[in-house]
Amino acid sequence: MKKNSLRFFLSLLALILIIGLIGCSSDSSQGTSQNQDTSSNDSSSDSSNDNESQERMSVTIMAPSFSPEGLDSDSPALKAIEDYTNMDINLQLVANANYEDRFNVTLASGDLPHIMVAYKTPSFINAARDGAFWDITDYLDDYENLRQANEIVLNNTSIDGRIYGVYRSRPLGRNAATINTEWLDNLGLDIPTTIDEFYEVLRAFTYDDPNQSGQDDTYGMVVSEWAGPWNTMQVWMGAPNKWGHDENGQLKPDFMFDEYREALRFFKKLYDEGLVNEDFAVMDSGQWFDPIVNGTAGVVVDVADQANRLQNRITENYTEDDIILDVFGAVEGPHGLRNLPTAGYHGVLAISRTSVTTEEELRRVLQFLNDLNDEVPQNLAYNGVEGIHHEVNDGVLDIIAQRDGGTLFDREVRDLNQFQMHVSGDLFLKAPQTALQKRQDEVMEANMDIVVANPAEPLISPTYTERGQQLDNIIDDARIKFIVGQIDEDGLDEAIALWLRSGGEEYIAEINEAYQIAQAAQ
Amino acid sequence: MPKVETSQRIPVQQLPTNKVTKWQMIVRDKWLYFLLIPGLIWFIVFRYVPMWGTLIAFQNYSPFLGFWGSEWVGFTHFERLFQNPDFYRILRNTLILALYETLFVFPAPIILALMLNEIRFTAYKRTIQTLVYFPNFLSWVIVASLTYVFFTTSGGIVNVIIERFTGSTIFFLGDPEWFRTMIIGQQIWKNVGFGTIIFLAALANVSKEQYEAAIVDGAGRFRRMWHVTLPAIRHVIVILLILNMGNFLDQGFQQIYLMTNSLNRSVADVFDVYIYFSGITQGAFSHSTAVGLFKGVVGIILILTTRYIAKKLKQETLF
Repeated sequence: MKKNSLRFFLSLLALILIIGLIGCSSDSSQGTSQNQDTSSNDSSSDSSNDNESQERMSVTIMAPSFSPEGLDSDSPALKAIEDYTNMDINLQLVANANYEDRFNVTLASGDLPHIMVAYKTPSFINAARDGAFWDITDYLDDYENLRQANEIVLNNTSIDGRIYGVYRSRPLGRNAATINTEWLDNLGLDIPTTIDEFYEVLRAFTYDDPNQSGQDDTYGMVVSEWAGPWNTMQVWMGAPNKWGHDENGQLKPDFMFDEYREALRFFKKLYDEGLVNEDFAVMDSGQWFDPIVNGTAGVVVDVADQANRLQNRITENYTEDDIILDVFGAVEGPHGLRNLPTAGYHGVLAISRTSVTTEEELRRVLQFLNDLNDEVPQNLAYNGVEGIHHEVNDGVLDIIAQRDGGTLFDREVRDLNQFQMHVSGDLFLKAPQTALQKRQDEVMEANMDIVVANPAEPLISPTYTERGQQLDNIIDDARIKFIVGQIDEDGLDEAIALWLRSGGEEYIAEINEAYQIAQAAQ
Repeated sequence: MPKVETSQRIPVQQLPTNKVTKWQMIVRDKWLYFLLIPGLIWFIVFRYVPMWGTLIAFQNYSPFLGFWGSEWVGFTHFERLFQNPDFYRILRNTLILALYETLFVFPAPIILALMLNEIRFTAYKRTIQTLVYFPNFLSWVIVASLTYVFFTTSGGIVNVIIERFTGSTIFFLGDPEWFRTMIIGQQIWKNVGFGTIIFLAALANVSKEQYEAAIVDGAGRFRRMWHVTLPAIRHVIVILLILNMGNFLDQGFQQIYLMTNSLNRSVADVFDVYIYFSGITQGAFSHSTAVGLFKGVVGIILILTTRYIAKKLKQETLF
């Protein structure tokens, strides 16, 4: 009996398995039929390409999303971009917070969209090397807009010297500090220009009652667990931008330079004297700006355009009289005015080889990317359709869709700029700027002259690709621990020794080797 | 359920080897088997089919090249894992947290259930039960934010109180010494209500007569608890313990990930977080699969050991 029931059970199991397999296979057949849909569109577009493109090609774009509910697929702005570029655009929007994860999962699924926003992560680098994306280095010059791409930024995006996507342009000099000028006025101080003045301002913000409340309820600068502000400030103080040349001309990571150590001592002093929030190491980045908005901290080091956003949180739809914030790019350190640049781009639009199979199709997609840089699609992506989302009165832009909480803008426009590159410059209309926004632009412009380039930015090290996160953690954690006093200078040295042991040694060697090759090639 | 039992008993009495009868049996109970199908499909599709993917632990898996195109590398990833200086730290952190969880988080609902069981006022008991059950519905993100708000040194209520009494604050969120306490505390706070329900259900089955007999024998409250209540729910405890052991090394990625920062990483790095960083953010799929497989093997060993011990102690086990 027992044997029989076992046999019975097994046969039942087999039955279930078969049902399961049928279920799976019908699923996958659905998947393939979808693929056939797109591929039939592709092939039709091929033929259309031959007789001067009357028929639209269908193109799927995967991009991060910043609007709460994503974009309506029948947004008139999207339709207008489709009409302009003669493409059927199918957007796969992913909430920005999950984008990296979803990018990797999509890579793993093997079913890639035609165009993906890709950040220079190990998985993208590996996928590009394995041939998942088109190498477009030799094609860019054939396109009117794409050929205007900035050489430095292109170099930053490159992988092994080749370019695997059109970058999404961002201002290089975007890092800056926002400061509360009301407090400065109360104390009779000016915007700091040197490290010493910066220290004095933070001290006064903490101890001299800058808000004139009669209480000890303020402090100088707010920092969160995100390490960005320390990275920026150590460059002010003379440390290299991630990699610098030592006296022998060899590339060394920033933390092996004296200036870096000096900067850390300065940070520690700020922390020890209470000029920085005590809990910064555990503060969630989501709460980072609250102390500025509710007036308990006076300085935050982030990006220049943060000032306008913060001012808007302090007084919604502020007028010139309401402005209590100002921006400055950097303060002068031992090596003069220096600032940390951004990479000049935020992700590239990479074209997958699995969905775009022929060179003809690639040409079509590149033409599409090129056309997106024109003025009309730029305007559509940033401002929506005139009459529906914005109006232009006497040359002054008014984005009406942003009124009433801006839900219309969120639903129909916001995410469209995620596949905008503006490599040939910002051509879209901008809303009239407040004095603060003008200041932001001035600071970003002025930053261009003082940013310090990272000589190793485009270089790739296999060790770093494999263990980068662990290596970065060792150094970043040691820096934070030193600032809060959990370790001393010996502890820093130990961390550096551990870093070298854990693969740092190879990393340095590989970067130097790659640098030599890159130098020789130029 | 009773129907299944009778259906299995009847053939034993009648014609044990007759296949026609068996088929008739299936036909007769077809709806019961039909009900079984969704569960079995779930297991096959989501538990057994993905096991196939474990094979990439022995490859240099590249998503683009796919399973068939990737190079086979044997045990390279396991060697790399065991040679990694971080490995022993991560293993140690994982084991210590797991041990604490078993020692403190697992008994918490039992103790609470026993205490609630002694309460005579039903309304009061119900209220407490609902209140402790509530945190179970909060996500870890909320729990982590609440923890920050309450425990931060910059104006968190807990530290304000501590400062008033002792004159100094305690850096709960950044001090590595406090990390495990915070994690265990959060888990108890969040999960104790759910476990209590199971044990209270088991306690409801204990017959009043046993208590009455114990009272007649002169047993006090603690004696009654020790000799009547606990033995009555022992089998539930053992079964839950075995189930728990299977997840021994699962620390709940979300919670740890949310509570980790630069200052406590030395004690906060556990396998789940390591797998996330190396697999998802760094794209080292094969390596992280190897780590996951290692974790799975440890899990099986633990569950079998617990079962073996439970059997030795003449306890009911799951299988």
